[in-house]
Parts: sequence; C-alpha cells; structure tokens
Amino acid sequence: GQTGKLMYVMHNSEYPLSCFALFENGPCLIADANFDILMVKLKGFFQNAKANKIESRGTRYQYCDFLVKVGTVTMGPSARGISVEVEYCPCVIANDCWNLLMEFMQSFMGNHTPGIPSVFGTKHDSVYSPADTMVQYMELFNKIRKQQQVPVAGIR
Amino acid sequence: RYLGQPEIGDKNRYALVRNCVDIATSDNLTDFLVEMGFRLDHEFVAKGHVFRKGIMKIVVYKIFRILMPGNTESIEPLSLSYLVELNVVAPAGQDIVSDDMKNFAEQLKPLVHLEKIDPKRLM
Repeated sequence: GQTGKLMYVMHNSEYPLSCFALFENGPCLIADANFDILMVKLKGFFQNAKANKIESRGTRYQYCDFLVKVGTVTMGPSARGISVEVEYCPCVIANDCWNLLMEFMQSFMGNHTPGIPSVFGTKHDSVYSPADTMVQYMELFNKIRKQQQVPVAGIR
Repeated sequence: RYLGQPEIGDKNRYALVRNCVDIATSDNLTDFLVEMGFRLDHEFVAKGHVFRKGIMKIVVYKIFRILMPGNTESIEPLSLSYLVELNVVAPAGQDIVSDDMKNFAEQLKPLVHLEKIDPKRLM
C-alpha cells in the first residue's frame, strides 16, 4: 500500500559511459551503461510511468573556462522549451564561483539569469558532482512537463 | 552484481547457469537500493583465497556471520569448514563452458567433490 515513487533514469552525452538514476529528494546513483540492462531485467517490478521521455538536444559551446550548452527540450515529437546549461570548469566548489557564473550569465541572459540552484541547498562548500547537474535537469524537465502546452492559434 | 533465476533447460548441464549483470556504481548503492524498494536480506563476510585458471575462478573461503549489522570487524565463523566454489562468467549461450568446468571438477576429486546446487531447495 505504498504510494508509487518516481525513479528517473537519465543519460548525459557529457558522460557517455554513465547512467544516472535518481529519486526526487532522494539519492542519485551514478552507474555504468549496464544499469539500463538491469532495468530491463527488473521491469516486471516497475510500472513505466505515463510521463513521456523528455530530452534536450543542442549545441555545446566552449568559451574560455566556460561551457555553455543550449538545447531544445522535446517531449516526443513536440518542442516544449529551451534549456541553457552553464558551467565554470576550473571550480568545483559551488559557493566559490556562483557570483562569477551569475555575472557571466547576465552578460547574455539578462533578466533570465536564474537564482542559485536549489541542489546546493545548505551544502555550498561541498564538491560539485555530475549528479548535481542531473538533479537540475530533472527539476527543469519536471517543470516543463507540468507546463500547459499552449495551442498555437491559426490566423486566417 | 545481479544474479537471475537459474535458466530453464538446466537439468542436463553440469553447472548452474544464471543470468548475470555486473554494474559499476557510485558508493551510495545501498541507500539507493532501499529507495528502490529492496530490503537487506542478509550480509556476511567471506575470507579466503581466489584462484584462476583461464576464465575459471575457484574461490576457497570461510563464511563469517556478522554480529553487529554493518560492522565487519565483529564476526564469528559460521562453521569450521571452507566452501569451495567454481564459477565462470561467460557470454550468453556459451553452454560449452559447463563441460570444461566438469572436467576441472573431476581433477579435484577426491580432495573436493564439486556438485551442482539447486538454489530453490535452499530457500
């Protein structure tokens, strides 16, 4: 009688040999590609959630020490939004470079610059890990899933 | 490592054949498995030796019961004898391996008599 929990299985082309499995507000497991095979074997124990597969596909830009990835977020055949990922490569402690990142983002995102990601919470001084990136994508994708699809009005 | 149920058509083979998936993971695996809905059934410590012959692995070990959950320092032996296990990880469908295993097992007699076990009978 336990309410269903959602487990997200994600892949990131930046880490081609890895597979990320995460629970909302729960642990994020980083595993190798065999995890997908395991999920096939265990599929009898899980229900495939109705939420469709969602992905962001686009271009990866390298600008000095920054990495900017701009992608179109699609769910099935329909485009649902645009994602922008910004990374400052030399630093692994979020707190130490957040201001720099914000300044850099403001230079091309203006008002769309986000606040500090919630994935850091209280642990501003802990070392950044790819799992932190995946949690942010999960939150972004969930936000996009919940958004109403705006029908395009045809004008004659 | 995930080990599946014994394969059907197993009765004629000399060795137990099971599906096997080896996955490298980050160190938070136990927390993750609990979140997935798995529950710890048992844990144990095995101390002994590993021998190799080609792709065959022979493990000779003593099993220890853990007295305090999660503490591998406070243990006691389950029995005075050692367990000898012969196993091979091979690509799917390569049943011929069980013949090589049988041949090797013959060489260990009369020191050790290796038998195929039925996991269902032990449950």
